[in-house]
Amino acid sequence: MADAVMRRNTTQAIVATSLLAIWLVLAAFPFFWTLWGSFKVEADFFSRQSWWNAISGPATMLQTGGHFTLDGYRGAWIQREFWRAALNTGIVTVCVTTISLVFGTLGGYALSRSTRRYTFWILIAALVFRAMPHITLVAGYLLPFFKLNIWGVLPTAIVVLVAINQPFTIWMLHSFFMSIPKDLDESAMVDGCTRFQAFRWVVIPVMWPGVITTGLFSFLLSYNDFAVTAMLLNQDNQTMVPKINSFLGTVQTEGTIMYAVAAVVSATVPLFMLVMFFQRQIVSGLTAGAVKG
Amino acid sequence: MAGIQLVNVSKRWGNVTGVRNFDLTIEDREFLVLLGPSGCGKSTTMRMIAGLEDVSEGEIRIGDRVVNKLEPKDRDISMVFQSYGLYPNMTVYENIRFPLKVRKVPKEEQHDRVMAAAEMVGLTDLLERRPAALSGGQRQRVALGRAIVREPTVFLMDEPLSNLDAKLRVSTRAQIKNLQYRLKTTTIYVTHDQIEAMTLADRVVVMNRGVIQQIATPTEIYDNPANTFVAGFIGSPAMNLVEGDISDGVFTTENMRLEGLPHTASGRVILGFRAEDATVTEGEGAITGSIYALELLGEASMAAVHVGGELVNIKAGKAFRADIGDKLTADIRPRLCHLFDRETGERISERT
Ligand SMILES: Nc1ncnc2c1ncn2[C@@H]1O[C@H](COP(=O)(O)OP(=O)(O)O)[C@@H](O)[C@H]1O
Ligand SMILES: [Mg+2]
Repeated sequence: MADAVMRRNTTQAIVATSLLAIWLVLAAFPFFWTLWGSFKVEADFFSRQSWWNAISGPATMLQTGGHFTLDGYRGAWIQREFWRAALNTGIVTVCVTTISLVFGTLGGYALSRSTRRYTFWILIAALVFRAMPHITLVAGYLLPFFKLNIWGVLPTAIVVLVAINQPFTIWMLHSFFMSIPKDLDESAMVDGCTRFQAFRWVVIPVMWPGVITTGLFSFLLSYNDFAVTAMLLNQDNQTMVPKINSFLGTVQTEGTIMYAVAAVVSATVPLFMLVMFFQRQIVSGLTAGAVKG
Repeated sequence: MAGIQLVNVSKRWGNVTGVRNFDLTIEDREFLVLLGPSGCGKSTTMRMIAGLEDVSEGEIRIGDRVVNKLEPKDRDISMVFQSYGLYPNMTVYENIRFPLKVRKVPKEEQHDRVMAAAEMVGLTDLLERRPAALSGGQRQRVALGRAIVREPTVFLMDEPLSNLDAKLRVSTRAQIKNLQYRLKTTTIYVTHDQIEAMTLADRVVVMNRGVIQQIATPTEIYDNPANTFVAGFIGSPAMNLVEGDISDGVFTTENMRLEGLPHTASGRVILGFRAEDATVTEGEGAITGSIYALELLGEASMAAVHVGGELVNIKAGKAFRADIGDKLTADIRPRLCHLFDRETGERISERT
């Protein structure tokens, strides 16, 4: 009996593991392929003769004298100033995430604790704005931005990205706050807190998983955005994604396509690290056992 | 230390009324229990006193201050919530200390007071734990400890025992009673459990649908219910209520004829009496009927008989045995009966 159970468990484990392994390979392959290729020259990575060239890299050997080359990275980061785009992305993402979270936590909390009926309509409105294609916001604003002479600079892009992101942030944080019992803030207020102190000292500490998860989504939205940044930023202020696009757009010049590959890898690595770093918070449930026996 | 006064307090949400014209004066050091079925506005009343709910109408005074417009933190109260409302990210020690920390009590004093409070509720061994690692009873005690640590003028407790199992409920009940006796703090306690109300209260406020039904000591509420609602709510089993006609001090209805009642009442009334006030007799008696059911309770037997369209409980000795359908005769002393108006349900007989 025990043996049979054990055997079944082992079989299950094997099946589960192999399925996971297959999925992992399928999911990770494009990344590793790109990562590997980014250290080769274009003649190998985009070889017409054989895809195997991308692995073995004969042209890389021929052109640079080594198995791997940093030409792609050098070209992108130094020659074409990808570092500037990276810096811009940094500024945009940090600002968008911070602003979205500040308004999102305050707004989401207020909406979750308000007993007024209009909170429902505010949330519905947020959902509608969230559902609109991003480009509609940009299209409508483009002319005024030109007129006001604020087109092309980072703050404008930040404002628009916040506007796109905020409904979602509020919506998401609102549902996180709803899952935190009202008794918690009320306890704190009876214990001597103002509403804001209760929010700051009692509610937010149990909200970290929600704040971090929402923050991560905001970060990803602004990090990956193309529609807004491509339309609203001038050449000097471009962020990484439109910049990569511009590398791709100049294929006539031999080599720049490898800049794009190198830049893609450069842009992906921070994302990996971020998710790895925060994975624990994302899945944790701090409130367990807080309320009921 | 302070008394509390509620003057004509009402609470409305749109056209929903939670509490209506609530008038109550609570003495300093009194243990007052708000009792009523679920949804009758007990919590709402307490939350208005705490400042967690706005008052639609009327005035609330704590001590000699009108507190209607004060924030909860400025009312000098502490509250134990039904769900305890412990801070999950803090240890037991930090939970109990929180009210002191927020109110900027000097650091040196904080520790002593936390330890004293923890001692009182028997938590000294668990101070480093987090709420998630505590049992229901222990969490409840943390909530109590956090409430007493600040030595407020008023304790508010909203069904603090309802998440505990029956046995723990009895011992914690005793603990709360003892704590209140020692601290001598005015306490308002909300419950739907009449046993809790009877055992804890100096005075009980019975509520129904947002309206006060009766304010009196537990004994008075039991012995002299002000109306049929209180009569039917208090006691287990609740008071028997049968409808019938009364004239010249004689009450008659199906299976029942009782003489010797007050002559003041006449016409259609409701007569109430408790199961233990009826005695099974041989031969003649006020009630004559056939037994519908017989329950053995251990210390007594409870016989159910149809009287005036109602099933009436009659308590018999523990040796009493009979079959369903057997004839039963019981007598009641008229002095122990209560008469209520059939329309309003208000009491019409004198207090016994
Ligand atoms: N925010 C609210 N809006 C509308 N009705 C409410 C609200 N809060 C409570 N009520 C109603 O008020 C009544 C009293 O509630 P409550 O005081 O919680 O009863 P309980 O005696 O069980 O504690 C209930 O019928 C409830 O539905
Ligand atoms: Mg309640």
